[in-house]
Amino acid sequence: MVQYRYLFSQLVRRELRQKYMGSALGVLWYLANPLVLLGAYTLMFGVVLKLPHESDYPLFLMIGLVAWTFFQQALLAAAPSLIDQGGLIRKANFPRQTIPAATVTVQLITFCAVLVLLIPLTVAIRGRLSPALLLMPVLIALLFCFALGCALIVSALHAYFRDVVPVLTAAMLPWFFLTPIYYEPSTIPFFKDHALVRFCLEWVNPVAPFVEAMRWAVYGGRSGDWVWFVYALVAAAVALGLGTAVFRRARGELAVVL
Amino acid sequence: MTAEPGEITLRDATRSFNVRADQAHTLKGLLFGARAPQLPPVPALRSVTLTIRPGETVGMVGRNGAGKTSTLKVLAGIVPLQSGVVSCGGRIVSLLELGAGFGRDFSGRENIYLQGALYGFNKAQVQERVERIIDFSELGEFIDIPIKTYSAGMLVRLGFSVAAHLDADILLIDEILAVGDEAFQRKCLRCISERIASGTTVVLVSHDAGAIERVCQRVVVLDAGRAVFDGPTAEGLLHYHRLMGTEHSAGESVRPAADRAIEVIDIELRDAAGRASSVFQSGAPLQIVAALRARAPVERPSLTLEVRSQAGERVFLTFTELDGPLSSTAQLAFEIPALALLGGDYDVALTATDGEQAGPVDRTVRFSVAHQPGAEGIVDLRGSWRELEPLRAGL
Repeated sequence: MVQYRYLFSQLVRRELRQKYMGSALGVLWYLANPLVLLGAYTLMFGVVLKLPHESDYPLFLMIGLVAWTFFQQALLAAAPSLIDQGGLIRKANFPRQTIPAATVTVQLITFCAVLVLLIPLTVAIRGRLSPALLLMPVLIALLFCFALGCALIVSALHAYFRDVVPVLTAAMLPWFFLTPIYYEPSTIPFFKDHALVRFCLEWVNPVAPFVEAMRWAVYGGRSGDWVWFVYALVAAAVALGLGTAVFRRARGELAVVL
Repeated sequence: MTAEPGEITLRDATRSFNVRADQAHTLKGLLFGARAPQLPPVPALRSVTLTIRPGETVGMVGRNGAGKTSTLKVLAGIVPLQSGVVSCGGRIVSLLELGAGFGRDFSGRENIYLQGALYGFNKAQVQERVERIIDFSELGEFIDIPIKTYSAGMLVRLGFSVAAHLDADILLIDEILAVGDEAFQRKCLRCISERIASGTTVVLVSHDAGAIERVCQRVVVLDAGRAVFDGPTAEGLLHYHRLMGTEHSAGESVRPAADRAIEVIDIELRDAAGRASSVFQSGAPLQIVAALRARAPVERPSLTLEVRSQAGERVFLTFTELDGPLSSTAQLAFEIPALALLGGDYDVALTATDGEQAGPVDRTVRFSVAHQPGAEGIVDLRGSWRELEPLRAGL
């Protein structure tokens, strides 16, 4: 594994280059995309629809949006990655998980670039930085592990069943709405009457705790919110373990099915 | 079981592949596909057992679909076995598919780094080798342009140059060398020989008997997924030619039966014992038996016999007037007491005419001459050195 570090960095660099080659703004596009979304959602949910929400709505929205975008992009990019790199797999016997791992890492790099924006934004909006922000790198690492575990599963499955990408693409939009990104479940009247729905939204949907935990880090902790953090830790470990197990079972025949 | 570097062991290796028109599986197939008729899996390797010692060079020959490439893929660890054991020691470098593992949008140089990385090299280790690789490939300034602009020959140059410089313990090379031009092919073979001299185990798949003869000490003949021969190169190639020879028809007609008065209707090549054969040894007798047929009586029948090398060069041509007239059919034999040809494939072309020498060829038949160590070329001049003045005169 360690021997193939250079392969990993080569794959990451290649993908980054391929992404930005030939576009004038290059990496800036990856900042522009969430910013445009941020503006649109702020306008729609914050001003027009006036959803009940936390203070500093743009910041609130931003955290959920970048975390979600990273997760979604990581999965959608990783799913077809083994097929895209079939040439490499048919060529040599290197550890196959390097490929989806590199894809998720590329998304992490853009994710971090966007997150760097969060710091000036937090200062500008709230006027101070919460000490809990120091937990942010840990949360990012946990989200990365969680996304990597999921990416290992979907990439291995997609190599065998080419339905995975369309199913995933179709699932992403409803999943987005079911994740507390532009709203806070506790403030929505509907959820007061439907506790079970709220429970599913907040605890069964594994992305929600990551979003909540990151907000907790940025906004400064309230007592009891460390549960999100523990959930994120467990979810990351489970996803990574499951992903590794699925990938190990699938890896042998990869060169044959690709 | 750990093998020492360069050692290859296959024991009862068995592998088959599912062939389906739609390669990709879909969920639909999984959910509803159980009822769909399933083609039986195609066996690629059937219980192949093979041991190659470090530093050995093995040529692998066989018909298309005999399992040669599958064997290489199994050895490279890319395709797993269904049953049996495979173990290869040390670093394995393979050259299997043309352009596989190259990024088309990246330059030749960048692809050298990626290829190195694929085999577990780090940046410094590739950097050490990159100039040597570029020199060997002779790609010059093309090395810095995207390889999507490369020709097939240039891709082979790049692929081979990289593979040759990665210090493999085991080097696996598929047919693709044939794509390169002749000068580069020779260079590759020379390079392979050097690798062999430095102790690399080489497995070479090729249809080019000459190439195998030049670098391999040992030949494995695969047929329908089984190793049907495993032994010294000369014998192995003879076995291979015999295997392929069963598919040769004795005397192909190259010309539609025109309204010519006389033609050659059959050619058969016979060995010393008078048996039909298509593989001969240098120096052994060879008989070319021709059957002639005349539609109308021909006063002065004549025969043109030509032997060509595989490259199409004329090795020998003779024009013979026969004692006519010929009114129906006849059988003649051209007897060669000792075949003065060296290893390779040759074509015999026979033409019967009524008087004039020119005319299209009637029939051709191909035969192979088994390679012999110690001589290269076409003609076996069958000479040997004799001491006129003793070498060790001073003693």
